[in-house]
Amino acid sequence: MNSPSATVALVAHLALLSSISFGGFPSVLPDVHNFVVANGWVTDREFANFFAISGVVPGPNMILMMSLVGLQVGGIPGAVASALATFGPPCVMYYTAYRLWDRFRDMPWQRIVRLGLAPLTIGLVIAGGYVMARAADTRWPSAMVTGAAVGLMLATRLNPLWILMTGGALGGLGLL
Amino acid sequence: MTQAMGVKRAEKRVALAALFVGFLKVSLLGFGGGLVWARRIAVDQQRWLDDHEFAEILTLCQFMPGPNIVGITLCVGSKLRGAIGAITAVAGFILIPWTVGLALGGLCLQYAHLPVLQNILGGISAAAAGLMIATGIRLLLPHRSRRTALLFAALAFAGMALTKLPLVVVLLGLAPVSIAVAGITSAKAS
Repeated sequence: MNSPSATVALVAHLALLSSISFGGFPSVLPDVHNFVVANGWVTDREFANFFAISGVVPGPNMILMMSLVGLQVGGIPGAVASALATFGPPCVMYYTAYRLWDRFRDMPWQRIVRLGLAPLTIGLVIAGGYVMARAADTRWPSAMVTGAAVGLMLATRLNPLWILMTGGALGGLGLL
Repeated sequence: MTQAMGVKRAEKRVALAALFVGFLKVSLLGFGGGLVWARRIAVDQQRWLDDHEFAEILTLCQFMPGPNIVGITLCVGSKLRGAIGAITAVAGFILIPWTVGLALGGLCLQYAHLPVLQNILGGISAAAAGLMIATGIRLLLPHRSRRTALLFAALAFAGMALTKLPLVVVLLGLAPVSIAVAGITSAKAS
């Protein structure tokens, strides 16, 4: 566990990131990763572990993942504060926007802003996957698992949970 | 037909407990893709709103930052029961699954030093990284005919993955240019 100021810095950073997380939280994962690893709070390996655990638990995965980061940095209070920082600011924005929605629903600029933002958020999601793959794929067999997961997800309608469990099983057998 | 259903639906008031349980279900069932379950429960099973209303909420939420599925939860709750409905729906979505997940996750991490568990987690996260990349690729497919969109997706990827710049810098640097280009191209098209 770290000093309280570390928790405050983490929570403030998460609150900022969640406010600009267009395209969902995966798009800000690389930034969170760089921030916590550079501060020495979480190692590459631990970050990959948080990612793995939150991926196989049902429910709000990214909120849970940020809480695991918060748990590591500041214990239970850190976990609760990180969760709030992850979904609190967007919730306020959703609520406000929903109330205002009628006023700007047919504005042409809205479509243009969306067209402009969409490619950026998509690029960021792929960057999130890439950064997580860099953290997880220490050797070529695990890189092959990542590649196979991409292929299966794109080519089949398999439930993603099976892909995750197969990855876990291959790892558990010591094949990666 | 949808309008007739809408009239029928508006007559009864949705119980807060039903909202809580409904979105708890969405959360627990929604491995990987909560959106599918949000629609199935809110539209098909409970008939809280029709497809048109659901699509409208989805569009709004995709336009906003944050976890879209939480936004959908909040908007449906707000539509049915106002502010208290929004809070109840979001609490249903997050409270129990988060508590259970954090307890399980924390427990799991206690043993993360064990080689077997380490290997299992390593395999899962390698696969999960692949799923995320695939999700991004799938989202990119509808934009593949727009060359500028592909360019900006590549720039955002490079800015974040290769140069390790802070997200704020990448977004503030690229968003105005990308929106301006989208504006110019759609003005030309029309």
